Parts: sequence; structure tokens; C-alpha cells
Amino acid sequence: MLENYFPVLLFIGIALVMGVVPLVLGMLVGPHRPDEKKLSPYECGFEAFEDARMKFDVRFYLVAILFILFDLEIAFLFPWAIVLKEIGTFGFVSMMIFLAILVVGFVYEWMKGALEWE
Amino acid sequence: MNFETVLFYLFAAVTVFAALRVITARNPLHAVLFLVLAFVSSAGIWMLLEAEFLAIALVLVYVGAVMVLFLFVVMMLDINIEQLRKGFWQWLPLGGLLAALIGVQMVWVLGADEISAGTTAVKHAADYSNTKELGRLIYTDYVYPFEIAAVLLLVAMVAAIALTLRKRRDTKRQDVNKQVKVRREDRVRIVSVPSARQVESVQEAAASNHGHTAD
Repeated sequence: MLENYFPVLLFIGIALVMGVVPLVLGMLVGPHRPDEKKLSPYECGFEAFEDARMKFDVRFYLVAILFILFDLEIAFLFPWAIVLKEIGTFGFVSMMIFLAILVVGFVYEWMKGALEWE
Repeated sequence: MNFETVLFYLFAAVTVFAALRVITARNPLHAVLFLVLAFVSSAGIWMLLEAEFLAIALVLVYVGAVMVLFLFVVMMLDINIEQLRKGFWQWLPLGGLLAALIGVQMVWVLGADEISAGTTAVKHAADYSNTKELGRLIYTDYVYPFEIAAVLLLVAMVAAIALTLRKRRDTKRQDVNKQVKVRREDRVRIVSVPSARQVESVQEAAASNHGHTAD
């Protein structure tokens, strides 16, 4: 079974080499004459004036959480879909109950307006 | 030592290194990125165990979604790193005690007879599918935990909305529901305004006004 994943491994290896080699080459071959201006943080033409760490709107967090929940929901659908014929009506009904419970949440967040940005 | 063993040690070494960097990195953002690396290399180890669905779910759910959330939280927290490092020596004994406890637990569990070093992974046929095995079990034998998982997700959804959703007063929001439901009586008010008066009466009124001001 693992032989099937060899191309993926190869791909990861090539991606690593493609990412690392230019950096290493630049470090070894390129000239190094740093000065104050070159080492200063660059922010699109003007002085960098504040910390990168700032307060986000909590709304981003809500969207991310809702994304994770539905991501998990579809993760459960994959194994179900490929064995649906073997587990029969019982398996089908159990997944329908699962989906029904989550649809309650979906309706709730839709009605609450959690999916709208304003 | 075959190729699979080499791969295992490679992934395991990367996992251990990344996990160490998670707790030693000065910048919390770097710690989060190292945690991503630890997850990816753990997915590699699971793949070696032929748990392909779990490996891909780990990358999809943890790396793709949970770590994004971690990054949000780290960015939102506005942490002062100097402040965080202040109580290091003060809390070291308690932390050490907890670490020792966890260590003992791990030795206890991993040293049990069921998971002794002698057991090796079962070799499966070429057409063995871990995803199918999971599917056969989750939706039939483990149906109650499965439905409880749905309830947990529902609770998380409702809790997240209840905690973070707030209506902003200063934005103009279109509510289609309200727009459709609105009726004529809500918007239109008929007022009977007397039509224009005659010119004489206006002049009389002006005259009487004058008289008042003269007094």
C-alpha cells in the first residue's frame, strides 16, 4: 500500500530542495555588506511604526471556529461514503441523525446572522 | 534496515525536534509554526502505519484549520514576552512535578503488556483500506459516540456564536426578512393637511398679528 504514496514522498522531497537550495545558495555565494538601512525592517516606503501584534476583530475567530466545525463534519462523511453499501440502512440513518443535529446548529447560526459580515 | 524504517526514524526525529522547538521558541508565532511541522511529520508516521485517512485528516483538520485558529489567538493575545518569562524560576518546581507525573504515566502506559516492544504492526494485503475499516466501525458499532460527537460540535457552534457574536450599532445592515415582511401601515401615514387658505384670510391673520404686536 505504501508504494502508492511514493510519489507524494518524492514530491515533498523535491519541494524541500526547491525551498532550501536557493536560500543556502544565496547565503553562501551572495555578497554580504550589511548596513543600518539594509537591516532595518521594511514597510512599504515608510517607517515601521507599530508592533505586528495587534488586536483583531473577534469576528475572524468566529469564522475560523465555524469553519473547523464544518470541516470536521465533512471529514466524517468520507469513510461513510465509501462503505455506504456495506453498512446498509443502519449506517445511512446514523449519518442522517448526525447531519440533522448539525443542521440545527447551521440553522441557528444562519438565523443569528453569524455568517454575515455586516 | 529497510526504507520504511529509515523514513520512520526521519519523521520521528523531525517530530521530536519540532516539538522541542515548540516549547523553547522565544516567539510564540515560531512555536505555532513548529507545531505545524510536528503535526505534518506525525501525519507522515501515521501514513507509515497505513492509517491513511487519519493522516490526511490530521493535515486537513489540524494543520489546515486548528493551527489557523492558534495563529489568530496568538496574534490577538497581544503578548508581552518579557512579562511571560518573569515567573520562570518561581514556577519551575510545580512544572517539574507535573512533567515527572506525565513521564511516569507514559512509562506506565507504554510499558504495559499490550504495548510491549515485541508486538509488530500487522501486515495487511495490498488492497487493505484503513478508511473502509474505520467506516465499517464508526457508523455501526460506535454509533453512540458518533452521535455524541455531533452534539459536541453543535454545542461548540452555539457557544462560539453566543460568546463572540455582537451586533454593531454603527453599521447599516440590510435585513431582507424585515424588508419583505413590512406592510403598508408600517411605512405610510396619511395625514389630512388643510388645503391652501384664501388670500383675504391670510391678510386678516397678518393684520391681527400686527395688532397684537402693537399692543
